[in-house]
Amino acid sequence: MKARHQAALLALPALVVFGLFSVVPLFSVVRYATWRWSGTSEPVPVGLANLSRLLGDTALWQSLGITALFALITVPLFLFLSVAIAWAIEGVRFERFIKALLFAPGLITVSGSAIAWYLLYNPDFGLLVELTGFALPWNSQPAAAMAYIVMFTLWQQTGYGVLVASAALRGIPREVKEAARIDGAGEREVRRHIVLPLLMPVLVFLSVIGTVFALQAYTAVYLLTRGGPFGSTRVIGYYLYETAFERFELGYGAMITLFVMVLTLTVAILQAMAFARRTRAAVGA
Amino acid sequence: MILMRTVTTVFCIFVAVPLVWLVYAAFIPAEAIVRADLSTFGFSLENFLALPDSGLWQAMGVSFAATGTAVLGQVLFGLGAAYAIRNGLKIQAIILALLALPGELLLVPLYRQLGGLGLLDTLGALILPFMASPLVIFLLVQALRRLPWEAVEAARLDGAREHVIALRVIAPMLRPELLATSVLAFASHWNLVLYPRVMTGEALWTVQAFLVELLRSRPFEWGLLGAAALVASLPIIVLFVVFEKRIVQVFESGFG
Repeated sequence: MKARHQAALLALPALVVFGLFSVVPLFSVVRYATWRWSGTSEPVPVGLANLSRLLGDTALWQSLGITALFALITVPLFLFLSVAIAWAIEGVRFERFIKALLFAPGLITVSGSAIAWYLLYNPDFGLLVELTGFALPWNSQPAAAMAYIVMFTLWQQTGYGVLVASAALRGIPREVKEAARIDGAGEREVRRHIVLPLLMPVLVFLSVIGTVFALQAYTAVYLLTRGGPFGSTRVIGYYLYETAFERFELGYGAMITLFVMVLTLTVAILQAMAFARRTRAAVGA
Repeated sequence: MILMRTVTTVFCIFVAVPLVWLVYAAFIPAEAIVRADLSTFGFSLENFLALPDSGLWQAMGVSFAATGTAVLGQVLFGLGAAYAIRNGLKIQAIILALLALPGELLLVPLYRQLGGLGLLDTLGALILPFMASPLVIFLLVQALRRLPWEAVEAARLDGAREHVIALRVIAPMLRPELLATSVLAFASHWNLVLYPRVMTGEALWTVQAFLVELLRSRPFEWGLLGAAALVASLPIIVLFVVFEKRIVQVFESGFG
């Protein structure tokens, strides 16, 4: 019993850090959300003014829509690419090399990656336009800008997805597939009815991870498009940053923080529920 | 199958081109760019020689100090917390909740709080809030659950104190996992972009802030940009290459 108490003490440093720099800010943000505050000025309490502003803020709702659109494009593509590539390279001679290549963008530091993309895809003088004459006009056309952020995110993250999917594929016993083939199932059926259902838990895991990646796209947006053109890539995280630290409205920024927190929590709970339901379904099937 | 092979090939090219181009750009001689003539192959180190004047070393120093200290804290405190959880301390729910919370969401309240503590514009702002990480704790708890527990019981019978057990008995057994989580923790702190941009000024620019500014102020100097991006990535590349096997092992063991 004494050992257990002693051991519990070892969690103290981490808990102090979390308490001071996560829990305290989490609660104090509620108070800051009632301020008008530029970051340097003295805060002025304004009651619920920030909340009513939030409800009528069309830019906020637009950026929510952009975030959802971004996730709806990116996550399915991420899932498809992860599984399709893991599938295609299973047992191929270059499997290890391809995995290393796909993982490599994760090793370039993020701003360095942004530089690489800038040198390649800049519509005015990037390598792509110099060599082919084709340019992706991400600085002038909203759809191209969205495609640009999606491509960059997939470029960065798909290697990890392939790694996970490929580990899961290898975990499927050969006998299961053999048995189905002996029973007369064609390759397509084996894939559809044996392998895919067995991959379900991993697909769910990857979609959760993919959603997290998608919600963190504000870094890519900051580095590549700064939310433009015309706010077309202003995902919610970037809108929060921009409001607080480029327009210096930290009080309203705190209100947006609160809003995003509630939203994140809701999505996380919904996903956890879906996860529980699907695993139950997979086990039952 | 043909479809998937095609998808794979196209995607591999899509991934490789920016990487190859970045490395190539880092080594092209400056005059090749001025002449806008990329067809003649050139190789030169002048871009790297120009880096010291740009202020990159200063930024690398700041990043190393901040990231190194934070990783040390995350692993040490993470080991303690994971060990406590394995011994029955019921705080997993808190860890999971923190895990679901994206770190940079707290920019606004942290800005206020660090200001109140007088930590804005100091190394402390880059380090203290990152001294513990829910992800590291989560991964180490998973790893601890796979360890046989007899060694711990034996050490207890010998009268060893708990922090000694954690450091002398557990840590050596967890070496691969500790290394892998350290590399992950290093990469994620090294790659912070918005946080340092908000919390510190020019004197304490991290590598990320430096690169962003370099791209903004000298967008036409491809060679310099490429060289800076490569050098700034070196720490992660080296760590990964050295520990590649262990990292992949730890990754895959969690999902196999």
